[in-house]
Amino acid sequence: MIRTLLLCLSATALLTGCKIVQKAPQDGADAPASHVEQVVLDSYETQLLPHVSAAAVEFGTLRAALAGGLEAAGAAHGIQAAGGGAWNFLTRGEGMIVGGDRESRAATLDVDADGDGAGDLQIQIGPIVRGTALRDAAPFYVFTDFKDQIEFADLARALNSRATADLALPGGDLTGRSVAFEGAFALRSATDPILLVPTRLVLEDSE
Amino acid sequence: MNINRRVLLGSLALGATGVVPALAQDSKGLIVIITPSHDNPFFKAEADGADARARELGYETLILVHDDDANKQSELFDLAIARGAKAIILDNAGAEASVAPIQRAKDAGIPSFLIDREITQSGIAVSQIVSNNYQGAQLGAEEFVRLMGEEGEYVELLGKESDTNAGIRSAGYHDIIDQYPGLTMVAQQTANWSQTEAYAVMESMLQANPGIKGVISGNDTMAMGAWAALEAAGRTDVIVVGFDGSNDVRDSILAGGIKATVLQPAYAIAQMAVDQAHRYLTEGTTGLEEKQLVDCVLITPENASRLETFSLAS
Repeated sequence: MIRTLLLCLSATALLTGCKIVQKAPQDGADAPASHVEQVVLDSYETQLLPHVSAAAVEFGTLRAALAGGLEAAGAAHGIQAAGGGAWNFLTRGEGMIVGGDRESRAATLDVDADGDGAGDLQIQIGPIVRGTALRDAAPFYVFTDFKDQIEFADLARALNSRATADLALPGGDLTGRSVAFEGAFALRSATDPILLVPTRLVLEDSE
Repeated sequence: MNINRRVLLGSLALGATGVVPALAQDSKGLIVIITPSHDNPFFKAEADGADARARELGYETLILVHDDDANKQSELFDLAIARGAKAIILDNAGAEASVAPIQRAKDAGIPSFLIDREITQSGIAVSQIVSNNYQGAQLGAEEFVRLMGEEGEYVELLGKESDTNAGIRSAGYHDIIDQYPGLTMVAQQTANWSQTEAYAVMESMLQANPGIKGVISGNDTMAMGAWAALEAAGRTDVIVVGFDGSNDVRDSILAGGIKATVLQPAYAIAQMAVDQAHRYLTEGTTGLEEKQLVDCVLITPENASRLETFSLAS
């Protein structure tokens, strides 16, 4: 709790003057975008991407911390909403694609980050992306600033869509390719699978 | 009353000890708890949770119901103001209609702490603590998809349209279910959170769509109504998933009827609201964001026996 509060305070201090505008700015028939679309437009590149890059923890460091328990890892590296619940983490790392499912609407890549051949995380590549980690890992998206749960859920979906729309992956089987990733994931228990929403995903090799 | 409180707060703020008025020794004052009708045990659990915590903390309580009638709710707010309440714990009677009475209480120096349902504005209530309906609906939908074997026809029972929770749960359900092309929704209808209405709606949906394999319901009372209709029609093969975590649905799950539900920790949320009211009254701030989401928990035959009155024993 105290940490969450401190985070809120420090985030407020850092972001003074650029807090997200609270009220839906337009209700006319010629409204160019919904409140949520406007928030994504205003914040994704200028606030969210820099925040992810600045706050991301090396994946190996994070996994080692998680081995010591979710609460401790969360307190050290994560962020949790005011009502408690999942710990949200930002991370970056490299690994090899060892499998996945590109057929599903909720497509994923399995990535081995520690070289043992087994997948350590699943990277969600859309078009359907599960969860609200990308929204909840950023201290400047605050539920109070949105009209209701529906609008706040829409924000999470819009951020997820924006993230995966920006991915430029070649088609086909990517197994065996090296990849560098950056993004967000949420855990409710230390043993849950890691489902990353990537804000950056780059194939590295190697023809 | 209000003057006394300000004096008390002021003296605390100055760090003066030993001059606390006798007022604090008897009762810390009145907390008014207003919810929808206790006919739905969910709301009774809220009232009970808030009442128990408030008494533990040394407050008197007054428990009232607005029956989802915004006019009645408005009158109850006037009553709370007239009684000089220290704080109001509210599960409100309408996201828009509740803004004015909460503002009126605020103007009279009485802070409101909202549970379960949001209002359309922030900055009027001190806290709005709601279940993470979106997260909960996704949990319920994932279990529904699994139980359905990722294919077949199903119907959806929607809650009351004016209630944000009806929309958010449906959105959460469909974010998951719509990913599976083998699952087809053949009917979607509101039963206004009501068990009897759900019974009638289920009967007619079943007649029109005899091939259905599942029912996903926006709450437990509608799930109970649907299950009763399915039983009456000899269709206990149909998979029903609810939302709330009521004792009725718990018993049905344990008896092999309804397959799953999603617990909203109503009792704990009501207690959180009272704790935040107490902190606000004694320290001048809750130290938390106004709007807070509290996670829901999937209830299946594995953990249903640990569920009692909207609270899951660990």
